[in-house]
Amino acid sequence: MPYKRKKYHNGDTHLKKRWRVRNRKKDLDEIDVDLKEENAEKLLNQEVNLDIPGAAQHYCLHCARYFIDEHALSEHFKTKVHKRRLKALELEPYSIEESERAAGHGNFKLATKRKIVTQNSDKQDITDRDDELLEDSSAKKKKTEENDA
Amino acid sequence: MRIETCYFCSSRIYPGHGIQFVRNDCKIFRFCRSKCHAAFKKKKNPRKTKWTKAYRKTAGKELAIDPSFEFEKRRHVPVKYNRELWTKTVEAMKKVEEIRQRRSNNYIMQRLRKGREVEWQRDVREVQRDISLIRSPAAGLKQRQAEEDTEMEVEPETIQVVDSKGRKQVIEAPVMVPATGEMIEDCGEVDL
Repeated sequence: MPYKRKKYHNGDTHLKKRWRVRNRKKDLDEIDVDLKEENAEKLLNQEVNLDIPGAAQHYCLHCARYFIDEHALSEHFKTKVHKRRLKALELEPYSIEESERAAGHGNFKLATKRKIVTQNSDKQDITDRDDELLEDSSAKKKKTEENDA
Repeated sequence: MRIETCYFCSSRIYPGHGIQFVRNDCKIFRFCRSKCHAAFKKKKNPRKTKWTKAYRKTAGKELAIDPSFEFEKRRHVPVKYNRELWTKTVEAMKKVEEIRQRRSNNYIMQRLRKGREVEWQRDVREVQRDISLIRSPAAGLKQRQAEEDTEMEVEPETIQVVDSKGRKQVIEAPVMVPATGEMIEDCGEVDL
C-alpha cells in the first residue's frame, strides 16, 4: 500500500519564533516616550536608511509606522486606524507603577486626559494651501489660454 | 523572598509562579499566569479589562484612595536592621491589614447601599407610571359622574308612597326628559 513515507512540512514554529521578535510593534507607553519633543524631533528627521520603507523619511509618530511617501503618510492621517490610535493615546498609558498602585501599594491615581494632535498638523495646512494656490494659478493659465484662442 | 505584583491584573506573584518579559528597554513585565501574559501579548488595556484591579479602581468599584494604602510601598530607602523595629513592624502590618480590609469592605457596602436607594426610586416611578395595568383609569368613572350630577342638580322632588301594607316610602320623582329621537325628528321638520 503506497503511503507518504516522508514528512515534507515541518511546521512554522521556528519561523513564528523569528516573527515574534521581528514583528513586535511598539507599545503605547513606548510611543508616549517618543512623543516627547526631543525624541519626536529625532524620529521625524531621520537619516536616509534604505532598509526602511520610504528610506525612513515619512514616519507617523503615533502609530510608529513608516510610509513610502508624503502622499501615503497624509492619506494615513485620514484613516480610522490613525484616529483610533490618537484616541488611545489620549489617556496617559498604563505602566508598571500603575499596576503596583492598583494592587494597593500606594494610593491609586486616575489617568489624566490630554490633547493629542497629529504631527505637523499646522505644516500640513500650509502645504495644502500651496496646492490650492498652484491649482488656482493653473486654472487661471487655462482660462487665459482659452481667451487667447 | 519578594512577592511581586502582576503587570496585568495586579495580583500577587509568589516565587516560582508566573512568567516575566523583559522588553528591549530593560523594563520588566511580570505576569501571574498565562491568562495575563496572553492578554498582554494581545495588547489588551488592563484599565478596560473588567477582571483586573486597575479596572475596578478606575471604575470606582473598589476603594482607591485611602491613607491605609500608603504603608505598603516601594520606598527605595535602605533601612538598617533593628530587631525591635522589625517586631514592631510585623505587629503593625497585621493591624494595618485589618483596618484596610474593614475600610474597603465598608466602601463596597456604601456603594451597594446607594444602588438599593436608586432601585427603590425606580420601583416607585414604575408603579406610578404603570398603575393602569392593575387598576383601570376608568374604574369608578360612572360613580364619580353620578356624584357630580347630584351635586349639579337641585334637590330632586320626592314623593311619599304608601304601600298596600301601609308602609310609608320616600321615592325620588322621575325626572321628565324628552326623548332625543323626537327632538331630532322635530328639527328635521323645521329644516324642511
